Amino acid sequence: MRISKGALLIVIAFTAPLIVELRTVLAWVNVELTVLESVVLSIGLIVLILVWALWPQEGTPQATE
Amino acid sequence: MTNTYIESFPAEAKVVRAAFYSSFLALAIGGLFGIIQTLHRTGYYRFIDSADYYTVLTAHGVFLVITFTIFFLVAIFTWAITTSLDRPVEDIRFTWFWYGLMVLGTILAAVPILAGFTDSEMSASVLFTFYAPLQGHPLFYVGLVLFVVGTWLAGADWFRSWLAWKQENPDERIPLPTFMVLTTMLMWYIATLGVAAAILLFLLPWSLGIIESVNPLLTRTLFWFFGHPIVYFWLMPAYMMWYIMLPKISGGKLFSDPLARVVFVLFLILSVPTGIHHQYLDPGIAEGFKFIAMTNTMFLLLPSLLTAFTVVASMEHGARQRGGSGYLGWLKALPWRDPVFAGMALAGLMFAAAGFSGMINAGMNINYLVHNTFWVVGHFHLTVGTGVALTFMAVTYWFLPQVTGKALWNRSVALGQVVLWFVGMTFMSNAMHRAGLLGIPRRTAEPQYEGFEFEAAVGSVGELDAQIALGGLLLTLSLVLFFANIIGTVLNNRSDDLPANGYADTLSGPSDAPLVLDNLKLWTAIAIVLVIFAYTFPLLSIIERGGLFGPELNELPVSIGLGLEYLWTTVVTTVTSGVDTAIAIITGVR
Ligand code: HEM
Ligand SMILES: [Cu+2]
Repeated sequence: MRISKGALLIVIAFTAPLIVELRTVLAWVNVELTVLESVVLSIGLIVLILVWALWPQEGTPQATE
Repeated sequence: MTNTYIESFPAEAKVVRAAFYSSFLALAIGGLFGIIQTLHRTGYYRFIDSADYYTVLTAHGVFLVITFTIFFLVAIFTWAITTSLDRPVEDIRFTWFWYGLMVLGTILAAVPILAGFTDSEMSASVLFTFYAPLQGHPLFYVGLVLFVVGTWLAGADWFRSWLAWKQENPDERIPLPTFMVLTTMLMWYIATLGVAAAILLFLLPWSLGIIESVNPLLTRTLFWFFGHPIVYFWLMPAYMMWYIMLPKISGGKLFSDPLARVVFVLFLILSVPTGIHHQYLDPGIAEGFKFIAMTNTMFLLLPSLLTAFTVVASMEHGARQRGGSGYLGWLKALPWRDPVFAGMALAGLMFAAAGFSGMINAGMNINYLVHNTFWVVGHFHLTVGTGVALTFMAVTYWFLPQVTGKALWNRSVALGQVVLWFVGMTFMSNAMHRAGLLGIPRRTAEPQYEGFEFEAAVGSVGELDAQIALGGLLLTLSLVLFFANIIGTVLNNRSDDLPANGYADTLSGPSDAPLVLDNLKLWTAIAIVLVIFAYTFPLLSIIERGGLFGPELNELPVSIGLGLEYLWTTVVTTVTSGVDTAIAIITGVR
């Protein structure tokens, strides 16, 4: 774990505003997503965060909290 | 042995507990109405009659922003006074008395509100902004008055404790939490003069039939005289928690005690003379007065910006004490696993977002764009619905063990609860803001109209409705988890290892604060002078135009009977005049 479980939960919560406004931001650069596409993209984003957070770090002991 | 609040102040702990339970009950009822109206106006599930929508909305508004918040804050203010002065209240019977008065007031006001769902004559579907021409049953106004008098006596109780303490400690600075409670109450005393006048002089006599009519603009202006500062009555206790609890829970100290005092003094002097910013679109108030209110409002941003700075600095200090380092790396060292901390931090963050939509509301010209749209509802679900409500829920996880002596039932559920509120509110409130920009109105059971479509630039109105409903469901789920935790905790056994009662130390202490800050008489005098400046002329000109008891006005709700009568007369006159014309034409032709 790179960050504590509590912090991971918070980071995922923080992606919620990004997710709901992602479509608007992309629309500015003329990328129009459907609901389905943005849901898929969001799930991808969360999976990425999970992978980053859970990937064991070399040489550091597992965080316990 | 620990040193919890219930051990130090067993008698006070009982009152505080009772006030907490009253507050939670209101939250439960208000929340229930919240999901009902969310599903109704988004069209997902309708089981109430649309004609009852105002009754639902009134119950939601009153129970949440008056009952839930104020019962909670009298609880934590009682805690703050007794803890920081380290002395019990002067007379616990008096404390029970004002609490009892508040309960009585709530019940009296709740009866006519809820009676609105029945076939009885009684109703008070006047919304929490209860100005004319909406008219409620007299019991509603009587209840409100008793409730407010209860809060006045609560303030008297706290002032009395402070004066007694001062006699014994003449040379000491007022402890910070006590200072915060006293400045908040001074602000409240000034602000409630507006509602007291509106209710006692106009609304109550009018609903009793003693006076024929009222001047609606006058009751609106008196309402907002109080209606804006009440916002700070909710917010200042939340700020108090951010100042005195958040640094402690993040493992550090409050960055600056003097700065915190400045913030509360600024709230005291600037909260009241701004109410007219809710009336930018009211005809009958000159632009100039509105402009003054706007200027005051913009100044009022200052204490909130100072708070953001101080609180974040204190959190950073805490994180560095816990071994955090780097520009942003310290964020990782904060106790995110702790629901009390995580809840308050998330609440503060959402409150910052609310600050931005607030600036937009405050701007006189941009306000015209969003006034009375769903945008406004989005805005205050971030301020009072999250900044305040989420802070209150989060600190409950610390307070409830303190006043019951029982350990929190489940910390993980608590963490899940606060995070769920954040996510739910992100969906609901964001979509509400957007819907407002499209011109979708607030306070409407059926915002869709025949032959007219609201159009979104990105996505569709249907998607916004879906987000609102999804957000509302997550919020409701969050409330369920909150109550599960409360009930679980209350049913727990007494625990011996709870943290000790207390609040954060300061890095820069009270001795660094200029003495003048503690001069409450001076600040009150300045506050009153500012109120006189801001309100005398607008009030005079409103009375000059419309008179104290106003131009003729039909109260609402007008009964269906009256409506039919009107319709009948219209039909009859139209028909007779039609016949007359026909006859005239025929005779003319002849
Ligand atoms: C389960 C959580 C909640 C949901 C689903 C919810 C939903 C709603 C909705 C949809 C409206 C707008 C109705 C309309 O304008 O037609 C509304 C209004 C309102 N809500 Fe909430 N809300 C929730 C929690 C809260 C909280 C915690 C507070 C304050 C502490 C609050 C305060 C208000 C107020 C003051 C109004 C305006 C009432 C009026 O216009 O008279 N809500 N709510
Ligand atoms: Cu305001």
